[in-house]
Amino acid sequence: MRLERELACQEVVELVTAYLEDSLSPEDRERFEEHLVFCDGCQNYLAQMRDTIAATGRVPPGALPAGLEERLLEAFRGWRAS
Amino acid sequence: MIAYKFLRPGCIAPYTGFRWPVGEWVDAAGVDACREGIHACSVRHLPIWLGPELWEIELDGEIVEHSRKLVAPRGRLVRRIEGWNDGLIRDFGRACVKRTRERVGFLPVISGYVFDADRLAGLGRVPLAAFAAARAAEWCDGPAGYEEERRLQAVWLAERLGLGPFDWA
Repeated sequence: MRLERELACQEVVELVTAYLEDSLSPEDRERFEEHLVFCDGCQNYLAQMRDTIAATGRVPPGALPAGLEERLLEAFRGWRAS
Repeated sequence: MIAYKFLRPGCIAPYTGFRWPVGEWVDAAGVDACREGIHACSVRHLPIWLGPELWEIELDGEIVEHSRKLVAPRGRLVRRIEGWNDGLIRDFGRACVKRTRERVGFLPVISGYVFDADRLAGLGRVPLAAFAAARAAEWCDGPAGYEEERRLQAVWLAERLGLGPFDWA
């Protein structure tokens, strides 16, 4: 049995990018942050993601070779559907 | 309105990393739960958002109360609640374990939560022990059991820390 509002660690990991991009709904953001209160592992994971972003910065879309962006998006769509 | 806020050591907001000044008003760009605004707790919200430092915060402006938080356009840290220290955090964990033992300790399978909560509290992972206590209560009594255990945790904190008013609806 799991509370409707309760997130599992795997779900937190899947949502971490959306969290950092501020694209979660307020409800999901609250559930995400509530999970972090008691989950050291996910706290560390989020901190590592933040550190990685800070260290690497952003890759502007123009930096990608022609066609690569679309191929990557296609691959991600396939991954989400599988 | 007086409310409460858990922070990381050094007055650091746990999610935004904002370093809170003490005694100075901080204005938010807007009030939008989980996005913008000064987020704080009433007493009944405290067990959900446990953290290393507990501060009293004065909120001003149009305060929006959500089921698990308060959001206001401005706020200022008033004082640190010194009673929320390592000793009290340990005691809080033990109280969660005790209630869990009394509630489910005699039940097959679910009694495993007593071991979990006890072990976690012993490791200093008190927020997780408190969560385990609430989950055990939910297994025993359904979602209302979860809320009741969180309410009892809030009552315990309010009594030990001298917080109020206790506004459990």
